Amino acid sequence: MTTPATAHAKLILSARGIVNRFGKQVVHDKLSLDIVPGEIIGIAGGSGSGKSVLLKTLTGLHQPDAGEVLLNGKAVQSIGAAEKASLFGVLFQQGALFSSLSVAQNIMLPMREHMALPAEEQEQIAAMKLALAGLDADSGIKFPSALSGGMVKRAAFARALALDPKILFLDEPTSDLDPIAASGIDALIRQLNDSLGITVVIVTHDLTTLFTICGRIAVLVDRKITVDTADKLMKSDHPWIHEFFHGPRAEGAMTARKTSHGN
Amino acid sequence: MPRVPKNKQQISADPSGPTVVVSGDGDRLALAGALDIVTLAAARNSLKKWSRQGPSRSLDVAKLDSLDTPGALFLRGLRDKGVKLTGIRAEHQALLDLICELDLKPLPKVKSVPRWRQLVIQLGKGADNAWHDALDIITFVGRAASWTVNALIHPDCLRPASISRHIAETGIQALPIIGLMAVMIAVVIGYQGVAQLRPFGGEDFTINLVAVSVLREMGVLITSIMVAGRSGSAFTAEIGVMKTREEVDALKVMGIEPMQVLVVPRLIALVVTLPLLTFFADIMGLIGGAAIAQALLDVSPAQYLTRLPQVIDGSDLFVGLFKAPIFAFFIAIISCMHGLRVSGSAESVGRETTRAVVKSIFLVIVLDAFFSILFEKIGL
Repeated sequence: MTTPATAHAKLILSARGIVNRFGKQVVHDKLSLDIVPGEIIGIAGGSGSGKSVLLKTLTGLHQPDAGEVLLNGKAVQSIGAAEKASLFGVLFQQGALFSSLSVAQNIMLPMREHMALPAEEQEQIAAMKLALAGLDADSGIKFPSALSGGMVKRAAFARALALDPKILFLDEPTSDLDPIAASGIDALIRQLNDSLGITVVIVTHDLTTLFTICGRIAVLVDRKITVDTADKLMKSDHPWIHEFFHGPRAEGAMTARKTSHGN
Repeated sequence: MPRVPKNKQQISADPSGPTVVVSGDGDRLALAGALDIVTLAAARNSLKKWSRQGPSRSLDVAKLDSLDTPGALFLRGLRDKGVKLTGIRAEHQALLDLICELDLKPLPKVKSVPRWRQLVIQLGKGADNAWHDALDIITFVGRAASWTVNALIHPDCLRPASISRHIAETGIQALPIIGLMAVMIAVVIGYQGVAQLRPFGGEDFTINLVAVSVLREMGVLITSIMVAGRSGSAFTAEIGVMKTREEVDALKVMGIEPMQVLVVPRLIALVVTLPLLTFFADIMGLIGGAAIAQALLDVSPAQYLTRLPQVIDGSDLFVGLFKAPIFAFFIAIISCMHGLRVSGSAESVGRETTRAVVKSIFLVIVLDAFFSILFEKIGL
């Protein structure tokens, strides 16, 4: 499923010495993060620990105050628009589906902008992405305002997958979802990772997601990042990390992990 | 780096980019290279005729280096046509299985309606909307009026902080632009007046023309249109965004009536502000008139001041100021009503804001025409 980072593995994304500050408040203090191709890595941290800012920094939406983000060894800020579109897929927390376009048009938008494909072909691909994300073809002609929360996530998933990105960034993919829908999203992430070999970076609070599908977990705490597997992080003696992995909610999620690994 | 407006070429025609190669002949072909969204069109073109021929053909995909979901979809299409895929690599098998297991249906077509029927449908919808709009406005006027009266009877329901904030935003901050517009309008009327009246030797009457039209019509009309565009749109957008963020529902749940906290303060603020702004616009218009008199008629400001009471009387000022609170009432009502009508999307905020501004300006002008006739009939 996932590969642990080794010193020699080729890195798909690497953040070096990232510093982000807003006014006097330092959010990230020279943190570094390496992501290997094909892994699922979870980014966890308390509210206000700068998870979303880190995600924005990794995707090049936010220019850090210091440090650099390298994508396949190239500075993320210098990558052209079209290339970036085919490398990155981002699932925004609220879906960020364009409300004036139908779901299928939302999925076809990046294809229409960056690829010279006939309309019919685009529609076939859009229908395939919808099915991949677990939506039926009928929802393709619906507008985002007519979708439920879970469907919005799935539609946004389909759009993030539009150009078969190499890395998928997911910002709280299971928040606001009922447990069944959330497990569905977890299964979807794992399936995409298994069969497409897509690298997945998940920012989440959802302990079940972290424990069941993430190979490694990056914990943002004290403006730094600690990256390790769930098992090793459980043994960490940092008070916040200990609390995070041993709180009452963590126990339940651990059970889920055991069941899912037992299968 | 210069921006390429249509960057399709950046991916698809990149010479160093991935390519797909078709080799072999007859019933047995082989694909090599990359079969992905970029090379899909090329692959489809080269295999078009071949895939239409009879069954018992096979395609070797062992030399494919990369395969993505559109590529897998293409292979699934070939397989469905009876082509046998051979030599599938292990890493592609999972992807191909995933795509082949999907329950694919084409996107449903949105039914297209002939142009003439669309016209009829739109006409019907328009009439229906207009009817419902009229009903809504009447209902809303009733509710807003009853809540306002309620607030006036029970002054502790009034929200002085909110009212004063809206007075500051709709009134004080609008002073510069409204003053400037009033001066400009006086200048425009003045120039036209001088040009039209000079051939008859009556250019002195330009002073009457400017003063009377500013006081009776232009002052209040310009102010109302400006306020509708400036504050009316702000009302709709503010309330609309609150509606999309469920803040309005939150108020209801807390037992606070949105009419009372959102509509009544804005209504009262605007009804107070617009007459004051109109009075300010009147003064500025008369100052503009003084400038015109000096520039075109050689009438000094002192002479202008002594002539003013002869050409205008209280009724001119009254007619203008009388209309202001009525216009204010309708601008506030329509803007707030459309704000509360916003549903869900950001698009809807924009649409309702446009409607609110158009409708309030339209209503202001219609009411103004009505008042012109009314005041003529009663001899004011």
